[in-house]
Amino acid sequence: MATQIVMDRNGDTRHTFDASDTKALLRAEERFKELTGLGFTAAVRTASGEPAVTRRFDPAAEETLFFPRLVGG
Amino acid sequence: MTFEALLRFSNDRLRPLLANGLRQAQVMRNWYREAGYTKTEARAIKLLKEWLSAKQLAQFNARRYFDVIGCHSGKRYRIRYGTATNIHELDGAGRPQSVLCFVPNSPLAAGDVMLAQKIALETDEWSAVAVAKRFAPSWH
Repeated sequence: MATQIVMDRNGDTRHTFDASDTKALLRAEERFKELTGLGFTAAVRTASGEPAVTRRFDPAAEETLFFPRLVGG
Repeated sequence: MTFEALLRFSNDRLRPLLANGLRQAQVMRNWYREAGYTKTEARAIKLLKEWLSAKQLAQFNARRYFDVIGCHSGKRYRIRYGTATNIHELDGAGRPQSVLCFVPNSPLAAGDVMLAQKIALETDEWSAVAVAKRFAPSWH
């Protein structure tokens, strides 16, 4: 199962989906586009465990993390 | 038994005991510290820990901060536990040069803020630094 983790005021919300299910994959892609459209940054972990920012939905990503736009504090 | 042999014996026996005691103390300290977190904070800390490198995790468990290397400049930044003005840019000797403040634009728990800051500095340092507010460090 793949997971999209969205940071929010409760810590995070997790959306798990079966990447082999076409409908679920489409929903996940829509969610990706919606969140990045709202200014969220999407990040995945590389094989070596380092974070990498991704601008396109990767259907093979096991875990994608979304965090809100960063601003000066 | 000579005094030297006795010393060697106690050293061999005491060292593992001390090391184990220190490990236990560290675990207890983390447990008490984390017991004080709200559910949201604890959840954010758990997520942060999953994304830290082994070195950063060890540093965070021991000191509640971790260092990251900026992907563009190679500079070292120290991200401390907190939600604002919690990043120190360090010089070559590890002294704070300035304090940076950039945060997600919606309220998040400290662990989430720190994770977003880490990813930003490690993957898109210049953009993060460009939006950051910079302050003089108040400690050395």
